[in-house]
Parts: sequence; structure tokens; C-alpha cells
Amino acid sequence: MCVKHSQGALEPLPPFTSLILDPPINEGVNATLVNTVLGPVDARQLGITLVSESLMYVLPGARYAYDIKIDRAAVFDAVAAKLSAFRAAGGRTIVDATGMFQGRDLRLYEALSHATGVHIVASTGQGPESMLGGYFLTPQTNPPTPWPASKFAELFGKEVNDGMVAPRLERRAPAGMVVTAVTHSGMTPTDDNLVRGAARAGATYGVPVFIRSGADALAEMQLAIDEVLEPERLVMGGMDRRDAVVKGWPLAVARAGVRLSIDHIGTNDSLYLSDAERVSLISELIEKGFADRILLSASATGVAFGEPGNDIPYSDVLTKFVPMLQAAGVSQAHIVQMLITNTAQLLSVNGEVK
Amino acid sequence: MTRVNTVLGTISASELGFVAIHEHIGYGMPGCELDSKWWKTPEQRYEETVPKLRQFHENTKPWGAATFVEATGICNGRDIDYYKSLSDKTGVHIVASTGFVGGDTALPFFERASVEYLTDQFVHEITVGIGDTGAKAGIIKVGVSRGFKMKELDLRIYRAAARASKITGAPIFTHLAVDSGPALNIFAEEGLPCHRVLFGHADDGVSQGLINEKALLDAGARIGFDTFGYDLELPDPPFWGRHRRERLQHFLRFLESGLIKQVLASADANCSPLGWPGVKGHTVNYLFEQLIPDLHAEGIEDSVINQLFIHNTAEFLSLTPNPEH
Repeated sequence: MCVKHSQGALEPLPPFTSLILDPPINEGVNATLVNTVLGPVDARQLGITLVSESLMYVLPGARYAYDIKIDRAAVFDAVAAKLSAFRAAGGRTIVDATGMFQGRDLRLYEALSHATGVHIVASTGQGPESMLGGYFLTPQTNPPTPWPASKFAELFGKEVNDGMVAPRLERRAPAGMVVTAVTHSGMTPTDDNLVRGAARAGATYGVPVFIRSGADALAEMQLAIDEVLEPERLVMGGMDRRDAVVKGWPLAVARAGVRLSIDHIGTNDSLYLSDAERVSLISELIEKGFADRILLSASATGVAFGEPGNDIPYSDVLTKFVPMLQAAGVSQAHIVQMLITNTAQLLSVNGEVK
Repeated sequence: MTRVNTVLGTISASELGFVAIHEHIGYGMPGCELDSKWWKTPEQRYEETVPKLRQFHENTKPWGAATFVEATGICNGRDIDYYKSLSDKTGVHIVASTGFVGGDTALPFFERASVEYLTDQFVHEITVGIGDTGAKAGIIKVGVSRGFKMKELDLRIYRAAARASKITGAPIFTHLAVDSGPALNIFAEEGLPCHRVLFGHADDGVSQGLINEKALLDAGARIGFDTFGYDLELPDPPFWGRHRRERLQHFLRFLESGLIKQVLASADANCSPLGWPGVKGHTVNYLFEQLIPDLHAEGIEDSVINQLFIHNTAEFLSLTPNPEH
């Protein structure tokens, strides 16, 4: 993916006070609560949870395309059917992990959650640089300096502390996770600012941070940890990429105490492992004692506009992949841990679950 | 017969009256809608906008009608249904744009698009309508990304605009007149006569010394003195501001050199900016409150003012499909 804009300048060292965001509302909040689009839910009620999915995906700009019509009623029916199938397969919670600028539609998600009974956690955050609007990259200042980490931290933090935005209209429920991404070909200065801003917002407001890895997951991970984010509150995504495995990232991430996301279950192409290879990777990680680090997901797109979706049902993780894990000898306890316990701990605001 | 697309329908150019050729109801960089620091209630937005348009309408009474060309491109907060309500309630004709203010305002979907797709997008918005609003765009916006240098995506948008202009007859106006060589090459290659193109912001403070005016004039292009009012004399001028006197002298040199048919003027003001503070005290009505009195004081005749704001604009905005096409 090409980098659209001139390389952003690195943020100058900010004064200490600029690192301090507004204090969290409800400080000392019950540590077992998870932010869903319908409000806080006890983490113990989340049940089987997929942490990296998409309900409605819209490539930025696609909603203005002359030949794309978004029929909200049809979108609702299509996503509701997929959520209901997931629930019928035993699933209870879906995290829409595409951030704030790629089709997130809170009122739609609230209605979907009401209608299907599936808990929906929506995310804040943006990235990588190529997905950002010009407001963040070429602001109306002279020179047009791209946004620094402190401003991204404030933008994302407000979505947790004050509620997620329905653009130019209102804020709704607080975000349950901060998601960002790093350019595959290598981290740009703006990606660097996005990662640090996301980590700072997550550390301040107690929600987890999910990074879609770029060319060097371990450096990206360290960048977030250096912002005083607890390793267990951080997820490195794309750990079932072929290059991730070749470079030994999954094990290194687990050893660092960071969560790793096997998040393209059902995808098998030149970029990603096959499901059989995923099973081997997971078995190896469990054998080495890292079951508490592993998260499972499919990155399925409920509906997609502007680029092709993948037509993977959310339920496939449960109906197709879990049987493969069982056949490979992964215990029921470990499967529960990966799909229920790890995710509940991760999504709990402040990271504790009783 | 002449035809001009406004947001409330296609009208004869004879109905346009006084035309402000490059203005904004509200402009914001893509993504600014996510930052609640800029949000305004609908009450506030109408309150900031309606009086300015009503005053504009009032100021144009001697010319019979008011036309406001809205230069906000796709992805920049362009809001056609809002423009329709404003036009309907104030009586000001509003001409909406298709196209992009520059490559750096085109979001990933359009950044990835081919020249052919972008052409189709512009043609559709001019001939069928914008989204499901039923309103047709009347002009095509293109521009130079930040940095005063045409980027590859800027060039792709210029080429698509040239093709769409030939097919539909809609004129093109640009954000910035700098680095115009590649643009003139594209228009020549595509066979678009340059009198269908207005090179804008030739008068702004930061472009001076970077514009090849002779090349633009020799090619037959139109030149926009369309940031009138962004004066350094304002209490808090923007970085592209310029001394009022200097801009006026620059403008007068054009008017006195017999090139008046190639010149257009406007204020580029925002009624209610979307993702930036805007410039306090600057409105489209600067044209009547400051510019026209300044021109009169310099001995400029009403016939010249009419040429600038009535005849040049009517000719430019009239849909003129290229017969070769």
C-alpha cells in the first residue's frame, strides 16, 4: 500500500504536562465492566468473544462514490443474519475492530445488538497513515504538519471518556478498545504517532489497545509499551501472517507478556497461514505455556463497501475452527480460555476480571 | 440556449445575475468531522450562514439576482441537501462542485481510483446528480496538494476533470495557480480549450512569485483573483493573506491591460467553516462592501464590474460541451 502523503515530522519532545489527558470519568469504575455499544456489561457475561471483526466496513470516501448505494435496511438484515448465526453457534460478543473512520455506525450497531442479543463492542482509533483524512495529515496550518501523538491520544481518549462520535452530531457510548495499524511496508512517522497516541489513550482510560502489525511487530509493540501501556493490555494483530511466523513474532510477543491475535481464521492465501497451520501455531504456543496470551478471530466483514468483503461467517471460528483445535488435542479448558477468559480480561475496563 | 446547473435545477445563464465564482458555505478537511471541537448545532450553522446569504442577495439587487458558486469538493464536507434548503429559503442560486480541492483531500477510495473512474464520477454528478439529492454539479473542482507541487494524484484528477468537462461542458476551477505547467499539458493533451478553466487563487499571499501568469494567459486560461478579503489588515489573517492595497494593484494591472475577459473575482469566504476557525470578519459581501467601492475609487467603470461579475461568469458557467466529443 502506498503512503499517500509526504512523511510526517516526528513529534518534538512535548512538555511533561502535555502527556496528561483529562482524568477518566467514573474513576475507580467497577473493574469488571466492558464498554459495549449499549452501555457497560459485566465482563463475565461476554461469553465467547471474537476481538477482531467488522460489522459494516466502508473504505474512507466510498460513501461518496456515484455507483455505491448503502441500503441501510439491507445492511441491517445481512449483518443481523450473520450475528444470529454466530449466536446460534454459541457466540455472545463481537468486537468491531475497524476504528472510527472505516464505516463504524453506532446507531446501526446498537439496533443490531438489540435485535440479535449479541454484545457489540465498538472501537476508536485509526490507521495506518494511508487510511487517514487530510485533516490529520495536511492541516490548514503553515507548514501543514501532520498530527502528533498527543493529539491522536486526545482524539481517541475522548471516544472512551466522553463517548464515540456520530460525526458532527453527538457522542454515544464509550469505545471499548483502541485500534490502530502500521503500514505493511514499514512504519511512517504518522503511524508512529498513531501507535503512541493509541497507547497513551488506552493507558489513561483503561481500555485495551489493538495494533495491526506492520513490518516490524516487535518494534511497534515496544513503542506502545514505552508509552506506559501494560503489556497485557496490548494486542498485536496479524500474528497468523506468514511473515509473522517466519520472523518468530508470535512467540516473542507472548514472551513479552503481550496478547497476540490469530485473527484471520478462515483466510488462506499468500499472506496468511492456512487453518491447519494456525492450529499448529496455537498448539505450539499452548505447549510453551502461553494459552493466556492467545486471542482468536476471523476479521470477517459483515458487509463491505468500497472494497471486497470476505464473506466469512463470524460463526466459522466456532463451527469449523474449534473442531480442528479439538481434533489436534487442544483441551476444552484452553479453548474456553482463548475465547472467553482472555477476551473478558482484555476488554474489562482497567484490565481486571473477578 | 444557455444552461447552468444549480442545486435547485438547471437555469439559463441569463438568470444568474451577480456571480461570486469561488465561495464556500462550509469547508473542512476530510476527517475533521471526527473532531468534536468543530461541531456546531444546526441552529448555529444556519444562524451563521443565512444572514450572510440574505445580505448577499440584498447586495445583488441592482443586478437582479445572486449566484453563489460553492467550491467545496467531494470529501470536504460538501452537503447538497443543506445547500438546497439555503438556496430555497434565501433566493440565492447555489452552484455546487464535483471534483476535489486537491489530491490531499481525496480519501482512499478515490485515491485508488483510475482516471476513467474519476471521469465517470464527475460526469455522473454533472449529468445525473450528486448522491441521491437529485441536484447536479455545475462546475468541476481540481487543485494542487499542499507543497505547491502537483502530485501524481492531483494530475490524475486534472485529467479526469478535463475529460468530464469535454463530455458535459461544465467548466473547471482550480485551487491554486502554481505549478501550472503540468496542468496546461494535460488540458492540451485532452483537447480542452483553456478558456474553460479558471486558475484560482492567483492573488493569494503565499503564491506570489510562484505563478507563471504569462503561460496561463497565452494558453487562453482564465485567472482567478478569488481570495479578495483575506487581507493582512484583518485582526487575525490566515497565512495566505495579502496586503489589501497590493492585491488591488495586482488586480488593476490586469484590468488595465485589456485582459479583462480572462479575469474572474471572488472572496473564497466560508459562511460557516467546518474544520477550522475560519477568518473572522470575512464574508462574500466583501465584494460589495470593500472591493467594488475600491474599484470605483480607482475610476473603474460599472461596465467593467458588470463584465467581471455578470458576463464573464455567465459565459464561463454555461455548460458548453466540446463539439469534437
